[in-house]
Amino acid sequence: MGEVKGGLSMHSIIDAFQFIGDNPHLMLTKTLEHLALSGAAIGVALVIAIPLGVTLGHLHRGSFLAINVSNIGRALPSLAVISIGIGTLGIGFINVMVALIILAVPPMLTNAYVAVDGVDPDAVEAARAAGMSPAQVLRKVEIPLAVSLMFAGIRTGAVYVVATATLAAIAGGGGLGDVIVNQASYGTPGVIAGALAVTALAFLVEGMFAVIQRLLTPKALRHQKGAAELFTPLIEGT
Amino acid sequence: MRGTMRRLIVWSLLAATMAFAVAACGSDDNSSSSSSTPAASTSAAAPAQPGKGKPSVTIGTKDFTEEFILGELYKGALEAKGYTVNLKKNIGATEIIDTALTSHKIDAYPEYTGESVATVAKRNEPAETADEEYQLAKEFYEGRGQTVSEPTPFEDVDAIAATKAFATKNNLTTMEDLKKIGSFSLGARPEFKARQQGLAGMKKVYGINNAKFRQLALGVQYQALDTGKVDTANIFTTDAQLASGKYTVLKDPKGVFGFQNVSFVIDKDKLAALGGDQFMAIINSVNKLLTTDAITAMNKAVAIDKQDEATVAKQFLTANKLV
Amino acid sequence: MLGSLALPIAQGGGPVIPTFQRGSDCVRENRQFCWDWFSSHWSSTFQPRLIEHIELTAMAVGIGFVIAFATALVAHRWNWAVNPATAVFALLYTIPSLAFFQLMVPFTGLTRLSAEIALVSYTLLILFRNILTGLREVPPDALEAAQAMGLTPRQTLWRVELPLAMPAIMAGIRIATVTTISLTTVAAFIGVGGLGEPIFNAIQTGFKTQFIVAGVLAVLLALAADALLVVLQRVLSPWAKSRAA
Repeated sequence: MGEVKGGLSMHSIIDAFQFIGDNPHLMLTKTLEHLALSGAAIGVALVIAIPLGVTLGHLHRGSFLAINVSNIGRALPSLAVISIGIGTLGIGFINVMVALIILAVPPMLTNAYVAVDGVDPDAVEAARAAGMSPAQVLRKVEIPLAVSLMFAGIRTGAVYVVATATLAAIAGGGGLGDVIVNQASYGTPGVIAGALAVTALAFLVEGMFAVIQRLLTPKALRHQKGAAELFTPLIEGT
Repeated sequence: MRGTMRRLIVWSLLAATMAFAVAACGSDDNSSSSSSTPAASTSAAAPAQPGKGKPSVTIGTKDFTEEFILGELYKGALEAKGYTVNLKKNIGATEIIDTALTSHKIDAYPEYTGESVATVAKRNEPAETADEEYQLAKEFYEGRGQTVSEPTPFEDVDAIAATKAFATKNNLTTMEDLKKIGSFSLGARPEFKARQQGLAGMKKVYGINNAKFRQLALGVQYQALDTGKVDTANIFTTDAQLASGKYTVLKDPKGVFGFQNVSFVIDKDKLAALGGDQFMAIINSVNKLLTTDAITAMNKAVAIDKQDEATVAKQFLTANKLV
Repeated sequence: MLGSLALPIAQGGGPVIPTFQRGSDCVRENRQFCWDWFSSHWSSTFQPRLIEHIELTAMAVGIGFVIAFATALVAHRWNWAVNPATAVFALLYTIPSLAFFQLMVPFTGLTRLSAEIALVSYTLLILFRNILTGLREVPPDALEAAQAMGLTPRQTLWRVELPLAMPAIMAGIRIATVTTISLTTVAAFIGVGGLGEPIFNAIQTGFKTQFIVAGVLAVLLALAADALLVVLQRVLSPWAKSRAA
């Protein structure tokens, strides 16, 4: 293996790319592991959070729970959740996945709830007046109008999962964290390469959900300013 | 505006009160892991205090239990002689901690002779005896601006272990037997994969090409063996868990993992500033006592009985009149 | 007293190996939770780490706030500064924490400084965004009234804009604080202490109680800080109705 380097400079960034070029198999394997772990956690989180949030929002029930679960969830220190997981479930993929799901659900759930709950009541009323059943109202009116804010939560959760999955290496979950913690073997170029890969993955996942969001947003609403993004931190904070 | 100012004052007072409360609760307790207070409980008047007036020394330790214990032993012994020790625990693997040494982030750390030669000096000539290994290490460090203490009697060597069940089933007693079984998984800490005193060396010396490397954080290897997550794992020969009898340690007849006594590596200039021989004498007095039995007993106390390394080290030093 | 019972070794003069305290059955068998171990190790192991954790967090949020606040004031006044500042802060925010801490070590060593540089960097984006948004969201009426009253821009800032921006600012501090508490656990990777240290150490022995205690303490700290800051937010801006969102 090449000499272990320390220190950071523009040259180090170039070295990092060289590292990727020199170790394509390693980087590919670790990236796929990372993607698999993240994808699984995001998938399960979506299945838990979205139906629940949408239903509660539609029924205008459970606001206390739905709002506060995100406040609490956002506060949870990720390594601490993983640590409790190791202490109860042991090391490995499952433990880390559970921890990641716990961290991903809150923003997804809260935003789905707030988004559907907050749909313009006039629009809902008009739809009911036009004879739609509650289910149709949900599907044709509430969800399309809620897409933007709902996806803000999904994207937040998804990106958070991809970033936090880096800590999986400590708990035996694999992924790009394995490269980042192994400065001993891979040197600074390896650490930077791992970091770049994680960041790239995060952007990729964010971009993917952005595309899905766009596809699901009804044409009429597509060019609205993304005020939701600006507001999300404020909403979460008050 | 009065209102805002008043609120800011309230806020600051609140924060300050909280901070004081927390600090007050903790102020009677002085046990930060990197504290530099000399041992407050020096019993009988320590006659010689060569450490008084000398600069403080920063000692680092690697990322496993035995090193933690060694760090506490040196710290305890030095503090008893008046030195101020800044202990930086759990820095990382050899490659990381050596960089910390050469870049003066730390002054010294305990290193294993074989590691020094194979991993730090990157020499591939296997030593014939433990003493030869030590001499090679010493020579290397002295050419680089560091110096080493006397080595410990005990050795802690890398080894490959499997559960008794797996070993019996596959007829494994030495490393060479691994060649004969089909593909198997080997769990080890990250740096093990590339090292000559690691998987790379195993391939070269024994021709073991059928191992699937599974990266494990250092420390979880026994759990991984127990749960069947890996077939074999890289362990250390003085690990406390081996006494349980649950594992078979494979013999290493060709010595791919080298000789591994511990010597204290310290920056030459720093050593001079700390009193040279006087300082080293304290380190050597500790090392002299570290037989395999001694270190294994301490490893067990920490790893199995979950005692503090600092407490265990202090007990040992007290029993041997170094504190 | 335990430990004073010595086992003399061979007459050849080997070391004296004391009999170390035997762990309780709970500990030796690594059962799910050993309360006895926890209570005997609270003041030696966990309390100091908790205090370190609080210190590291407070310093990071404090320094981050000063930097973000200054930048936000500049951006509020000179609009072109918004995008570059956001870009820099966002870039810092995307660096994975495990990498950021390690990359600081060659420069600033295995010290709190290394940890703080990274921790401060992570607070900047959220604090900057929230402070700026808070300032921008001040109703134009309020600004007009201030102007009508003859307040200078500086007076307007401190007496009108900032108080009105308080909810957003506090929201930002709240998020930054809990995020920092989370990241400080990772900082233990470079040896600066905090509640992450028992977690990383526990990996050595697989000791369940240690994992659970360290994790739970960090969670409780974060929740307590969050709750405290909610209270503080209400105290500092009582006029802001809690938004039903």
